[in-house]
Amino acid sequence: MTTSPESRPVEAVKPVPVGGGASRKLRILGVGGEVAPASQLRRWASELDVEFEWSPDVPQAVRLLADERWSAVLAVFGDRPDEELSWWADTLRVANITQHLIAVADRPSMGLALRAERLGVADLLTRPVRRDAFQAALRRIASETETAYPFPIVQSHAVGPYALVGESPVMLEVYKLLARVAGTTVTVLLQGESGTGKEVIARAVHLSGPRAAKPFVAVNCAAIPENLLESELFGHEKGAFTGAVARKIGRFQQATGGTLFLDEVADLSLTLQAKILRAVQEREIERLGGGEAIPVDVRLIAATNRDLRAATDSGRFREDLYYRLAVMIIELPRLVDRGDDLVLLAAYFANHLAERYGKRITAMSHRVLDVLRSRPWTGNVRELRNVIERMVVVARHEMLSVEDLPPDLRGEDRVPADRTRGDLLTLAEAEARHIARVLSQTGGQVGSTAEILGIHRNTLTRKIREYGL
Amino acid sequence: MKVEQALRLLPSLEAMAPLRSLLLSVSRTDERTRWASAGHYLTVGKRSVEADDLRERLDALLGQITAHLRGLYRTVVEAIEAHGRGDAPAAIAALRRAGGLEERAGRFRQAEAWYEVALELAVELSDRSAELDLLRVRGALTRTLGRYSEAARHCQRSLALAEAEFNEGAVIDACEELGNINRAMGEWDGARAWYERGLSLNGTLGVRTGWLLLRLGDLARGRGDVEAAADLIGRAREHMEAGGDSAGMAQTLSAMGQVHVAQGHLTAASAAYREALAWARHGPEPANLEVDIRIRLADLALESGRWMEAESDLRQAEQSALAHGLAHRLVEIYTLLGRLSGRGGEETGFVFFEQALELCRALELDELLMADVCVAYGQFHGALGNIDSSRAYLERAGETYQERAQVGGVERVHAELSRLAVAV
Repeated sequence: MTTSPESRPVEAVKPVPVGGGASRKLRILGVGGEVAPASQLRRWASELDVEFEWSPDVPQAVRLLADERWSAVLAVFGDRPDEELSWWADTLRVANITQHLIAVADRPSMGLALRAERLGVADLLTRPVRRDAFQAALRRIASETETAYPFPIVQSHAVGPYALVGESPVMLEVYKLLARVAGTTVTVLLQGESGTGKEVIARAVHLSGPRAAKPFVAVNCAAIPENLLESELFGHEKGAFTGAVARKIGRFQQATGGTLFLDEVADLSLTLQAKILRAVQEREIERLGGGEAIPVDVRLIAATNRDLRAATDSGRFREDLYYRLAVMIIELPRLVDRGDDLVLLAAYFANHLAERYGKRITAMSHRVLDVLRSRPWTGNVRELRNVIERMVVVARHEMLSVEDLPPDLRGEDRVPADRTRGDLLTLAEAEARHIARVLSQTGGQVGSTAEILGIHRNTLTRKIREYGL
Repeated sequence: MKVEQALRLLPSLEAMAPLRSLLLSVSRTDERTRWASAGHYLTVGKRSVEADDLRERLDALLGQITAHLRGLYRTVVEAIEAHGRGDAPAAIAALRRAGGLEERAGRFRQAEAWYEVALELAVELSDRSAELDLLRVRGALTRTLGRYSEAARHCQRSLALAEAEFNEGAVIDACEELGNINRAMGEWDGARAWYERGLSLNGTLGVRTGWLLLRLGDLARGRGDVEAAADLIGRAREHMEAGGDSAGMAQTLSAMGQVHVAQGHLTAASAAYREALAWARHGPEPANLEVDIRIRLADLALESGRWMEAESDLRQAEQSALAHGLAHRLVEIYTLLGRLSGRGGEETGFVFFEQALELCRALELDELLMADVCVAYGQFHGALGNIDSSRAYLERAGETYQERAQVGGVERVHAELSRLAVAV
């Protein structure tokens, strides 16, 4: 995506049609204030065999967008360009109207340009719109043709409603450890970043053990409010506390004979850690508000995305409980360390989800593959699944293409091949882009962003203001 | 630190309320938390808050509080000055303005106190216009606070005065508000009668007609008369569009979306909601309206089985509510997220209902809202086979509806309990 500086010379070339013929003619809907006479835009578009319609206001445009199919929207922003950009990007994404947005603004700021790029805007033009910039934007949209990368055949191993997919050396190590704990009831600690598949492995451990026929009960310690976690684990009698409207059987008791999976175990308070330790050691629990000791016989599997050893060193996690849980440790690798497992997982999810949504998906484009391979995948397999699901939901063809990617990923595909010297970034622009990217990764946390960038938070705050991020 | 931990450090003092709101609005979730297994169940209590973020915004917050207090103090000075020179209408106007300031800040009980003082002065005037206006605003405020019988008394008095004064505009206002009160009480026939009476007086008053038609259409939809609703809301739209009322257009389109849902025209409903969002951006309180419409969009997606879309809309609504200090709207959002989890058979979804109930308690919200949460929580438990818990939550909701004479609510709870008995 590029901006269109006023100084760029007008191309004195005969326009080449880009519309794609009658069967796939590009259709653009312009919305908003005057940017150039609508008849002129229509003429410029028709020179490229592109159909152009104009809607003076947003409500009418929304109606037109809902009624007909459009290749792109050309939105003219008013005096609140940031808000309007977010709104349009959001509306087009959620309503699955079209993947392409051409934005037009008065003197767009660098901040707006960066945000537009991040949101996957096809082009940002300056008002008044000029013929060469307008036609270049149309050409860019038309040129996005993609070639197919057929999905490979995926061997998967079913684990209840989930599956184990992957052939990378790091996953083979995980499978070997799984085989070692199979047939035993040893306590297992699963360590790995968020989304690496800890619960799937926990289920696999359970299903490969002697308690497979008994219940597998999962508790997410980080999701449950602290004041409710104790009653969730151990149960309560009616009236034990405000909100205890009926007697509740705790998860320990529900898991009797089977496996209790304590996910995000590092989030447990020290008080609760002590109670769990006692339950594990004495093999009995007490419900809140009840005096009766209830015998429990469970296999424990715990998981964490943090360094539990370090937590014991800092006193945030009980050492005795740590040693109880970490009899066998399985480290799960990050997605970026799993090489071509990414392709296998993407193919598996696409096939699986296409079936669920009643679609047929057989391939993804090479450009999609490039985008997927270049991602840092902070959320690992869970994030990949989420991305593929979003793509499958919006896909209209058998091949997943760039236009099916969520907007935040589409921005990463925009490396203009025809970048001229005048389009190259200044140091400040490069810095602003990098800051914007890190901010997006940290969810806008100034402290964490400053830490990653290695600068003081005051410096970062100043730069954010300066670049209009 | 997690929000739930930070909130525990804040005593329940009125002076801390703005800080509590700030704490919620600056809370964040980072990329890592988003993708953690708990990310799907993330509620405001589990978001993170940094002391630095709070510190950075303290001056601005104190500035807002000072400006608010300055506004209030100045109106009192103006009122004293006006009263001193014998200009009671000016004193009343100043006090009413103070009430308006409090109401806009969401401090309804404080607003009520200002209106009460203003009303005491107004009853002594021979010109009754200030009195009838204050009775109407008090009626509307008392309705917001859930005290319907009292609200109705204020509005009835306002109506009687307006009729005696031949003030047609005030008569229409009172009729509309009485309709709103009846509707809130579930007295739909009464509500319709009041709206129709307002409409019969309204003649060709444009946008006012639009609002009354919209309310009548909404009522018709609620009673299942979809065709009448479509007609009334369609007519409301013409008036709103002609009058250029953005908020009215947004609400009309949103209501039309609900009619489309009732007719089974889901694509048309989605389009109407999206258009409503576009209009909402130009009206007053766009965030509140946006949250409203996004909740409806999510509801539509949920009913259509598009769970991912429903979650996306709800998360956007959550973000908007937090960013604009609309924490009370989180109750509806979390209730829907809980319902969404229930549809997927996810037991951990109970955290959304617990968070919604916790917000009702912490923000001292209307008990009827809490009852609505309890009904959804009861249904959630029922779907998961937790019959005792399901019955307990439904009965708890039923008691509240009974106490507040909410006929519709009581009927809904009875129906749910009967369904539960059959399932057992």
